[in-house]
Formats: sequence, structure tokens, C-alpha cells
Amino acid sequence: MRDDPSVIALVARVGDGDQEAWNELVERYAPLVWSICVRYGLSRQDIDDVGQSVWLLLVEQIGKLREPAALPGWLATTTRRECLRILRAGRRYDHEGLPPDDQMPPDPSATMIEQEIIVAERNAALRTAFAELPQPCRELLAMLMSDPSPAYAEISARLGMAVGSIGPTRARCLERMRRSPHLVAVLGDQAGGDIEVKEPRGEQGE
Amino acid sequence: MSKVSRGWDDEEVLAALQQALRAQRAVPPEFIEAGKNAFAWHNIDAELAQLTYDSTLDSSLELSLRAEAASIRALTFTSAHLTIELEVGQDSLLGQIIPAQPATIRIQPREDAERVLATDEIGCFSVQPIPSGQFRIHCHTAAGVSALTGWITL
Repeated sequence: MRDDPSVIALVARVGDGDQEAWNELVERYAPLVWSICVRYGLSRQDIDDVGQSVWLLLVEQIGKLREPAALPGWLATTTRRECLRILRAGRRYDHEGLPPDDQMPPDPSATMIEQEIIVAERNAALRTAFAELPQPCRELLAMLMSDPSPAYAEISARLGMAVGSIGPTRARCLERMRRSPHLVAVLGDQAGGDIEVKEPRGEQGE
Repeated sequence: MSKVSRGWDDEEVLAALQQALRAQRAVPPEFIEAGKNAFAWHNIDAELAQLTYDSTLDSSLELSLRAEAASIRALTFTSAHLTIELEVGQDSLLGQIIPAQPATIRIQPREDAERVLATDEIGCFSVQPIPSGQFRIHCHTAAGVSALTGWITL
């Protein structure tokens, strides 16, 4: 389930030279590129280098992407390749500064990359759905998510909302989240309603 | 993900959202900013001219007999169809386009307005004063070939 229609629209706008759409795309996928680099144990500077290469390659090739919906997969694969390139270059030229072989960060498997893509898409959909909530919903949920989470009395005072309506409002806002088309597109049956899914993805098949 | 056969309850939605926002906060803003800036390369009709030679990185030069030339920095940028050679002199930056031909040169400082100049008939040009900050060079030949260097700091 990785065919969020909003991504397809974004890719089309980027193809038309829309910088705003590009910015949205970068914000949406920077966490994916970043998290894969972190998995490979790269230094901050190496991560910046990988990022630079990945985004430049994307600018160059986005017009040639046959399936815009395959963008997350393209990004993950390209990031992985750039990470490996940097690690290899380091091995060849800088033996001194490297940890012994058995302490090198392990090469995260293709399965891990696939997992990162799924998590990144789910997270992006959640953030988009959240951003599209009405302002009062966002304020309330943000407060509920803060750490430590404030008492209802404090929320009531800060948001000017009766204590008794916090619970129902919270439920209503979360229901809106669940029904967001972004979330439904990425999660399918996982997020919305009490629908029986015939075949649970992931765990059982393996 | 354990809850696959029924919808997320309120706690799960909230926890998932919290995780999504945390993943976003983990990414440094400069990393995202650099990604956005990469779009400057979009629609540039020029080929990227990559640094293929830099005298300061050339250890064999120190051994050469032309000791007096060691104070002059030389750089070469190469794209598929053009080569741009640069030499940093005392008070000017000298350049030449190869193959030799007339071209329009744009010096594009990162923090400043661009300067436009024309080469002579054989593709030579001179930039004065020497650009101080980061800049790149865009070259457009009379024949219609364009090349753009990466960022240069002298």
C-alpha cells in the first residue's frame, strides 16, 4: 500500500518546475533518507554528502520516473547505494580511522530498507493527515502528546475548553485522523473502521 | 505492527502520530534545507562541469621544476562537451574554454548578484576582482552548448 495519490500529484507538479511541490517532497521524504543513513551508521558529514547526492539525482531523474508511486522505493534504493558507496570509499582510502571489520556497522538488509519505506510512508501520511486537521484539533492533540502530558484542568485553561468536552473532542479529532484519505491510502484497512482483513500483512506470511 | 485485523483505536492513532512527529524532529533542519536547495539544478539547460583537476590537491606539482608556478592555483572543470580551465593570478581570475570558442560567462556568487562577461574569440576571459566567496561559473558558447560548474571557493 504505497500509492498515496498526493505523492503522484506532487511528482507531477515538480515535473512542471514547482519549487513549492519540491519542498513538500523533500520534507516528506527527508526522514526516510535520514533514517536509512543512520541505519548505516554514517557520520553527520557523510549523511550530508549522501543527502546532497540523493536529492541532486532526484532532481535530474524525477521526470523520468515511470511510476511516481514508486518514488519512496527509488529514494530508499538510491540512498542505500550512496551509503554503501561512501562506506566503500572510506574502507579503501582511510583504513586507519576505521573500526575493525567485526565492528563495522552491519549492512542493513533489503528487508530493513523495505520496512523503513513502510514506516516512512505511514509517518508521512500521519503528518499530512495531522496538518489537515482543524486548528483546535491540532492544538489539543499536540498538548495531549507533549511529555509529560498535562492534566485536563491545564488543557482546559490553556485552550479555553471545558474539561468535560476534552474527552469527546479528542475522540472526534482522532476519528478525523483515522478517516483522512491520506491515512486510508497508505494504511488501507489498518487505520479505518472495524474491517476484517483477510490476510494480515507481514508477520504471518513469513 | 500487531493490530492488522482491525482498526486502530484512539491510543494507537495517537501513539503512531507521536512517533511520526518524532521521526520528523530527528532530521536536522539544515539537512532538509539542503535538499530544498537542490532544486536550483532543476531545468538548468547546462551540463554539470565537474572538478577534474585542482593544483592544490596535486602532490606531483611540488616536485616539478616550475617552482614559481606553485603559487598559482589551477582548476579544471569538465563536462561532456566543454572544459573550463581556471588560473588564479595575483589580482584576477583567468579562464579559458576548451575547445577554444567565443562564449558568454556568468560568474554566479552564492551571496551576490551575478556578473556577465564575454570571452574573446578563442574562449579566454578574465575576472577582476577575484570572487571572494563561493561562486560557480555558467558558460554558454556561441554554438549553444552550456555548462555549469559546482560551487567553487578560491
